[in-house]
Amino acid sequence: MELTPKVQFLGLTFDVTVMIGTLFSALVVFLLSLWATRRLQMRPHGWQNAMEMLVDFCRGITRMAFDDRTAERYLAMTITLFLFIFVANELGVMLMVVADVHHPIPWLGLTEEALKESHGVSWFKSPTADLNVTLAMAVAIALYGHYAGIRASLRNYVGHYMSPLLPIHLIEEFSKPLTHAMRLWANIFAGEILITVMLTMGSPLITGAPLLVWMGFSLFVGVIQAYIFTVLANVYISQKVTAH
Amino acid sequence: MELNFLAAGIMVGLAALGAAIGNSMLFSKYVEGVARQPEVRGTLFGQTMILFGLIEALPIIGVGLGIMVFFDLL
Repeated sequence: MELTPKVQFLGLTFDVTVMIGTLFSALVVFLLSLWATRRLQMRPHGWQNAMEMLVDFCRGITRMAFDDRTAERYLAMTITLFLFIFVANELGVMLMVVADVHHPIPWLGLTEEALKESHGVSWFKSPTADLNVTLAMAVAIALYGHYAGIRASLRNYVGHYMSPLLPIHLIEEFSKPLTHAMRLWANIFAGEILITVMLTMGSPLITGAPLLVWMGFSLFVGVIQAYIFTVLANVYISQKVTAH
Repeated sequence: MELNFLAAGIMVGLAALGAAIGNSMLFSKYVEGVARQPEVRGTLFGQTMILFGLIEALPIIGVGLGIMVFFDLL
C-alpha cells in the first residue's frame, strides 16, 4: 500500500494527497465552468451547449425528488455535487502519481520505518478514494437535510419522529449517510487499487489488455457513482423537506 | 498463520456472489423489457443504471473493506 504524506496542524492530521486532489478537482471544475460560460449566446455552440445539457440533466435529477417549484432551489447544489464527484472520480483513473522517496521527510510524516514498509509515496489520487472525503460529503448532506427540514416546517419535522417506527428511523439516520459515503468510496477505491496492482505486479504483456478494459470500466463506474450519489443526496433531503 | 488473507478471500468471494446474482436478475429483466417494447430503451436504461449502482453498493463495500483487511489496514 502506498504511503501518503500527512501534516499535523493544531492537533489535526491533514492528508496532503487528499488536499492536493481535492484542490485540483475543484480547480478543474471551476475552469471548466468558467470556460463553458464565456460569451453566452442565444444559440449555444460547443462548451456552452455541453454545459446547458448538463444543467438540464441535473434539473431532471432534482425533479426526481422534488416537485417542479422547490426543485429550482436545489439545482445549484445538485450541479456542484455532480460535477465535483464526476471530475474527482475520473481524474484518479487518468492520473495517479506515486513517487519513491529516498530520504525521510519527518515534517510530512514520512519517517524511516514507514518508508521501509510501503511501496512508494502517493502524491496524487482521486480525492473520492479516501473515505474521509466521501464521509464528509455524506454527513454534510445529512445535516443539511435536517436543517432544511426544520426550516421548512418544524411541526412536520418533529411529527415525523413520533411514530412507532422510531428505532428504525434512528438506525436509518446512521446507516443512510454511512452507506451513501461507502458506496462511492468503495467503488473508486477498488477500481484504483486494481489499476495499481495491474500496473506494478505482473508483466505488461499479460496485464496490458485487461488494464485498458478495467480503466474503461472505471470511467463508466465513475459516472454512474457520481449520478447515484447526487440522486440519493436529493432523495435524502427531500425525505426531510416534503410533508408526509 | 495470517488470518487476514483468509478473511479477505471470504469477503471478496461472497461479495462477488451477491453482486453476480443481483446484477444478473436486474439486467435480464432489462433485456426482456427492451425485447418486449424496444421504444422504452432509453428510459429503462437510465433506471437500470440507477439500480445497478444501488445493487452493487453493498458488495463493493465488502470488496473495499476486504482490500483494507488484505493490506492489514483495518
